[in-house]
Amino acid sequence: MEPLKIIITGPVGAGKSTLIRTLSETEVVDTDAAATEAIGKPTTTVALDHGTLHLDGHLLHLFGTPGQERFDFMWEILSQGALGILLLVRADRPDKLPAARNILDFVRSRAPVPYVVGVTHLDRPKVWRPEEVALFFGTPLEQVVGFDPRDPAEAARPLARLLELIGT
Amino acid sequence: MSKQEQLQNLLGELKAALPELREIIVASADGLPIAQLGESEIATRLAAMAATAHGLGKRIATTTHLGDLMEIVVRGNQAYFIAYAIGDKGILGLTTPAGSNLGLVRLEAQEYAKRLAELL
Repeated sequence: MEPLKIIITGPVGAGKSTLIRTLSETEVVDTDAAATEAIGKPTTTVALDHGTLHLDGHLLHLFGTPGQERFDFMWEILSQGALGILLLVRADRPDKLPAARNILDFVRSRAPVPYVVGVTHLDRPKVWRPEEVALFFGTPLEQVVGFDPRDPAEAARPLARLLELIGT
Repeated sequence: MSKQEQLQNLLGELKAALPELREIIVASADGLPIAQLGESEIATRLAAMAATAHGLGKRIATTTHLGDLMEIVVRGNQAYFIAYAIGDKGILGLTTPAGSNLGLVRLEAQEYAKRLAELL
């Protein structure tokens, strides 16, 4: 079975590492370091996260990127050979959507492959609904999936949608 | 003396001990530049890369049972980039030309990493 490389990206604190920890069937490779900026959590990914998952008859290799722009060289390195992109954005932080668009443009310029926008933190007050996020990105609504990356029952949904778009 | 001045002085002393060093940077573990000597335009980028190399190196060390990570070496045909943990406070990164006495670099850099750890 040919493994599919999927890149999981998006601004800091969107839930990329959480998603990979929720889904991975193998021991997760993570690279957390103590955060020295106020990012709303104690640690942040400095190199990559890696996990694997069987989904709809495919073996997925999930590569999570750091979120901060200073690590854009990792966006570039991890984009190589990716067959799909999952961009995560926080529904309660519309101020970070331009940064998310910047990451998506960067990654798609290196890996022009199908992408899905995953909208997290929908349980917070004052959120942008997936429809509004779709409008912001100019992305068809069927490519935008609201979900909770902490919930094993939901976490695979955006990836299942991505597999449909990849058309495997 | 402010902490920043003390940091700069320490980096200056390291440079005096190893004059062949090209860049010297101190980065936080999450890749933000804290102090530097040398070409400023690459220092910010080098700080992020030092944190990435160090974070990944630590994982490689655990996964392959190497024990605690002691140093990261990137060897080019013209120079080296070498990084050391400053306790759990950050990373000391430096570049030095090919042909440098790496044993001496290692000795001095580890000593200065210890002194930087007390300061940070």
